[in-house]
Order: sequence, then structure tokens, then C-alpha cells
Amino acid sequence: MTRFLVRRLSLLALVVWGVVTATFVLVHATPGDPARATLGDKASESAVQALRAEWGLDQPLGAQYWHFLTDLVSGNLGTSFQYRSPIASLLAERLPTTLLLMLMAVTFAVVISLPLATWVAVRGRGGADIGVRIFGAVAQGTPTFLIGTLLVIVFGLNLHWFPVGGYGRTSAEHLHSLVLPAITIALGIVPMLVNSLRASLTDALQSDFVAFGHSKGLKPATVLAAYAIRNGSISGVTILGIQAGVLAGGALVVEKVFAIPGMGSLMLAGILGRDFPVVQATTLVFAGIVVVVYLVTDLSYALLDPRARLA
Amino acid sequence: MIPNKWLPALAASTVIASLLLVGCSPDLSPSSDGTGTPQAGGHLVMARELDVMTLMPADASDNESIWTIEDIYDTLIVPSADGQSLKPSLATDWVQSEDKLAWTFTLRHGATFSDGTPLTSADVKFSLDAASDPNLPSGFLNEQIAGIDTPSPETVVVRTKTAWSPLPSVLALYANSIVPANYGGKSREEFAKAPVGSGPFKVKNWTQGQQLDLVKNTAYWGTDRPYLDAVTFVAVADANTRATQLQGGQITVNEMPAASSFAALSSTPGLKASAFDSSYTSFLSLNNTRAPFTDVHVRRAIAYAIDREAILKAANFGQGTAAGSFLSPAYWAYDANVKGRQFNLEEAKKEMGLSSKPAGFSADILVASGNATQLTTAQILQSELSEIGITLTINQMEPGALRATRKSMDYDMAISNATTDITDPDELVRFIAAKSGGSNAMYTGYDNQQVADLATQAASLSDQAKRLKIYSTIQQKVNDDQPMVPLLYQPTLYSYSDKVHDFQPSITGNYNLVNTWLSK
Repeated sequence: MTRFLVRRLSLLALVVWGVVTATFVLVHATPGDPARATLGDKASESAVQALRAEWGLDQPLGAQYWHFLTDLVSGNLGTSFQYRSPIASLLAERLPTTLLLMLMAVTFAVVISLPLATWVAVRGRGGADIGVRIFGAVAQGTPTFLIGTLLVIVFGLNLHWFPVGGYGRTSAEHLHSLVLPAITIALGIVPMLVNSLRASLTDALQSDFVAFGHSKGLKPATVLAAYAIRNGSISGVTILGIQAGVLAGGALVVEKVFAIPGMGSLMLAGILGRDFPVVQATTLVFAGIVVVVYLVTDLSYALLDPRARLA
Repeated sequence: MIPNKWLPALAASTVIASLLLVGCSPDLSPSSDGTGTPQAGGHLVMARELDVMTLMPADASDNESIWTIEDIYDTLIVPSADGQSLKPSLATDWVQSEDKLAWTFTLRHGATFSDGTPLTSADVKFSLDAASDPNLPSGFLNEQIAGIDTPSPETVVVRTKTAWSPLPSVLALYANSIVPANYGGKSREEFAKAPVGSGPFKVKNWTQGQQLDLVKNTAYWGTDRPYLDAVTFVAVADANTRATQLQGGQITVNEMPAASSFAALSSTPGLKASAFDSSYTSFLSLNNTRAPFTDVHVRRAIAYAIDREAILKAANFGQGTAAGSFLSPAYWAYDANVKGRQFNLEEAKKEMGLSSKPAGFSADILVASGNATQLTTAQILQSELSEIGITLTINQMEPGALRATRKSMDYDMAISNATTDITDPDELVRFIAAKSGGSNAMYTGYDNQQVADLATQAASLSDQAKRLKIYSTIQQKVNDDQPMVPLLYQPTLYSYSDKVHDFQPSITGNYNLVNTWLSK
């Protein structure tokens, strides 16, 4: 188990290094000067050059990369060009919001998918199956921003059940504000999750161990929960793990549509304003989230299926 | 829009204006929109595309920061709402010396910062000295200031290097807002996070990138103002979200709704939609340093081939007017007689015939990606310029990349815009004529020494009528050279709850929330 963890962790560290390096190269290769973006079109060229020097942007790229890496290793994420604030404090405000959003999105995805998949698996082929397939195709084919906008119009503007975007000021308001955005992200993963769960649950229901459970005289519900769903959900965990990147990408779009001040909106503002340290730090955090989810997926495999432990 | 005829009476010399207005409240003149007696109290929530980047006046370069700063701080002088004159603010009067090399300002008696500290000439000297650092975004505007003297706590003398009329206008610039001397004992960084000004509102709480809460400054020198108890600015990047938030009652003011939604917003019950005069002018920038745009006949042909009314209708949904001069009617120096080369295909073909490329050529046009107005404009230009043999390729670029490309002059044509920070024409004229600031003559590379000399001469004169004459000549000469094609003069759009009254952004964009009130 320890070897498994060490191997996985070193691989993940390598992935994170690759991502931050690629980001560093990309932000510097993209046309657009952070100093000019901060000072505006009217500022004189000498003012722009002075700011570039202050930020170290006049140094060779190799030197800038070295500073960036050494700072990163010592835990210093730098200072935002635009906000003139330490990135760590910006992240401290934004990261919890995005993590909560992603957590709620996963919860909604599971809460919607598991009963749907189980219902269809138990009922077999028929109207229910067709209905769920159509729902899946529509949900998967609709862009996230459109789903978000529709939810806002129906449940925010017309029914007044939820706020029309924004994040509120209290914890209760935060949770309330995140319901629609979380459902929007969840609907993007539900179709794949339902398909995969349905397939594996159908297999599980036809397996010998389920027949054994029934022959033991266990109640159908117990067999379903303890035998079929536990075995059938391994594929669901894989799908959720693989979708971590989709979740992060969804946060980018959804945070904009719902005006949620999370990592996604910070990253977008950073990209538009050529705020290199913000883009690098937010990419690092998103990459971190994705690799941690992969790790947790691997570990939960091991919990759900003992055969995976030595893999 | 602003009437094309500027009013000569309003354009009287700043000295006379100041003498007439001595002792008057500056931006507190009755400006009721005729919707009842102002009521005190209430909390206004405005959603804007971006959050404030900085609350340090001299560091600001984005509109969100600038317009917020004007609610927290005061300047010595403020422009009138229509931009045609200047009004007292912290300075109650000002006078230019006989040798024209110094201006004496008398400070308002009893003005204090929001923490109760009296505001004196020492604060003014400190603020203006700090803002004149050439490495600050607007530092170049103060380059004519030679020094500042403080003969008494209520008197400030600003010396200029040469006789320079735009000084009062420049002192009305947000960057020249008055901060406490030595930042009230704080470091510059500490002050920037928790600033103190003398304006109608003070900062209560600021979560960077998200939300800024202002509350009424009870120590404000303007009697009975502001009416509002609190103002919150929230950052809502998506225009549709801002519009639905306004409809849902979550916000009170939506900054800059899409022009396409303006008609619908105007007819929504409970909402108002207004187009305010602004200095915003859109241009077709032509790269004068690259052939065939080095040829004046090519540039003139392009100007003649463009139907501005078609652009106004299709790309801007009728919001604005077709432009003539590069100076918009927002300036007192605007010359309505400079009508520009308006749509005339025959003339366009004639100019092409005189040019180095009579058979036409291919060129590209830079458009900011995600900007529907620019894209539609470019598509119209593509179709119209094909009539004179110009094959236009539309090149969409992310705004940051576009800015860099335009800056390096590696382009043929681009859609640009200009706004003004000061109401004196000097800033924009120097941008175009003297390559001042960083825009390389509005990204055209235009270079005409005669125009540059005229600009310098105009700034040195005190007589407004004489200045006006020179600015008319400049507008005519720039029109003859046609370094760019002015397209439209555009208003600033806002939609807001019908409970909002006396919301009257000025032509420089300042919200003037000091006069705004909410009905219950």
C-alpha cells in the first residue's frame, strides 16, 4: 500500500510540474503585456517599461522560470499584478467557494444518477430506459451556459426559489446560491454516470453473487444495495474521477454565468488581464484538485474492490 | 447625444467661470430628473463587468476603479456634467497669474477627510506631487507642473513650466484626487487597501475581485449629501447575468447593458434604461506606417466608402450618431463643421483612382473576439470596402493579444475607440497630434509636425476663443489627412430600477452618486 501511494504521488507531482511548466511557457508565449494591461492604453511607454522591470518581466525567460519555480517550492505563489495583493490571500478567499461548488456538483450528480440508473437497470429495457437515454442525450448535448441560463430564468427569475446569480454574504446564502450552479455542472456529468452505472448494475444484477443473495432468502432491496450497487458503483467512481477535469472546466463557465467569485472567475480575470501569477497559481490549484481526485479515485477503488490494492 | 452646437457662453474662460461660481457647491447643483423630492437613505447595488482594480487614485487606469475613486475622493475642481465647463470642488476658486506661469487655488473652508482630519494645502501638495510620477499611468498628464507651493493652509499655488491652459482640467482628473499627506501615516500599500478620502462615500469593506461596500461619509462637506446610506459594487462578468439580476431585483443598477437588449429593457416594467452622453468615439484605425495606408488617397477612399448609418443601425442598434471630427461633441472644442467624409461611393472610387492602388488590394482588420459590435462592424466594412476593390479579412483576436498586435503596429486596420479623462481637448489632441501617452497617435502612427505645433500653441493660450480656432484648424487638418476614420459617437448605456433617481453619469463617465437617491 505504501509503495502504491509513493509511486502514485511521485507520478502526480510530475504531472503537476508538467502542468505548471506548460502554463508558464504558454502565458509568456501569448501576445499581450501585463504591464500595458495594468496601466492602460494611454500610459507612456516609459511607465510600462518601469513596471515591467518592477515585476521582473524584463529578465530572460529562463531566469523568470527559475524564480517562479524556486518561489513555488518555498510556498510563495507571488503577488497578483492586477490586484497588487498576495496570491495566497486571493486563493484563500476563492478556493473554498470552488471546492464547495464542486463538492455540491458531485453530490447532485450522484443523487440524480444513482436512483435513475438503478431504476432503469431493475426495470430493464422499455419506456423508462428510452426516457433516460433521451434525457441523457439532451443533457449532454446542451452547452453548460445554456443549461445555467435556463435554470436561472425558471428557478431564479420566475419561481424565485434561488438567487439570480451572486454568492450572498452568509454561509446559508452561500449554500443557497450554489444550488443552481452545482446542478448545472452536475447535469453535464449525469448522462455518462447514468449510462455507466446502468450497464454495470445490469451486469451485476445478472451475476452469480446476486443470484446467491436471492437464494439466501435476502430481501430484494438488501441484495440490490449490498451486492449489486456496491459492485456496480466501481464504474461510477471511475467516471466521477475521470470527470474531475470536466468539473474544473465546468466551474470556469458556471462561475461566470452565475457570478460566483471562485477560482474560475479569478482565472478568467487573470487571463484577460495578463495577470501571469494569477493564471499560474489558479492553473496549479486546478491541476492539484484534478490529480488529488485521481488519487482518491484510485484509493476508493481499492476500498471498493480489494483486487485493486496491488495494482 | 450632446447638441452639435456648443454653447460659446459655457466655453468662457475658466477664470471667469470660477469667479462666477465662487462659493457655489460644485456637483451639488439641483439636477433632479423631475421625479419628485429626493429622499435620504437606501442601499444602491451596482453590478459591473469587473471589480475595482485599485482604490489608489494615481494608480487607476480602468473605468471601474476610476469611477469608484470619484465617489470616495475629491479633486480640486470637477467638470460639469456636460463637460463644457469646470466647477469648484475642494477649491472654491482659482486664478492664473499675470505671467501665466502659476495658478492660485483657494481651498474650501471646513473640508475634512472622512476620518475627520482637516484637509489642507499640505495634503494637496503631497497628492499632486505623488501623482506626477511619470511612471504612473496618468503621470504624463502632469508633466507641465513645475512645482507646488503652499503659502497658507487654504492656499495652493501650482507653477507650470510654460503658460498652460489645460491645468484646471488636468487637476479635475481622478488621478489628481486629494489623499491625506503621507497617506495619513500609513505606507502606500496599507493606504491602498483601506483608503481615506473626502468624497461623499467611504470604504467599509472590499473583497478584491468580488465586491466593494461603500457607506455614506457623514463628514462630507456637501450639505445634505449624499442621499444614499450605502453603495455596493459587485463584479458580474456576464452581461446576461447582470440583466437577469436587475430583473430579479437583486441589483439596482446594471452598468452597460448590451445595446441589443436596450429596447427590451426600456419597455420592461419597473426598469429604466438610459443612454447618457459620453466622449466615447469609435474609430477605424488605419496603419499609416504600412503601404498602401501610407497613401492619403487610399485612406480617404476608405472613409468615403463607409456608411456609418448602416453600422449605427446594425452593430449599435441605433445607439449613437455618425461621427465627423475625431473630437466628439463632448468637447467644447468640437467643430460641427468638420463633417468628415460621409458615405459617397462615387467619391470613394475617384479617390481610389488617384491612389497607388487603383485596382484595389487585400488587407486585414483586427477585431476583439467576443465583441459582437466590433464583429458586425467589421462585416459591414468587409462588404462596403469590397465595392472599391478592397478585400478585407477579419482577424478576431483575444483582447490582450489584439492590444499587443496593435501596439507593435503589425496590422492593417483595427476597430479602436477613444474616451477622455479630462474635458479639455488637449489630452486627445496630444494623443493624436503629438504621439503623447502610449497609443502612438491612436494606433495609426500618424505624424504631422504642423498639427503637433498647433497643439502646443493651443495649450499655451488662455483665450478660449483663440484656442477654439486653433482646435478647429487641427480638426480640419486631421480630417484632410484622414489618419483614421471616426465612425460613431456613442453614449454610455445603463439600465436600472425605476426607484433610482438623479443617476446622471457625466461625459467622462463619473457616476456622480452624490446626487443619486432611491424612492421607497
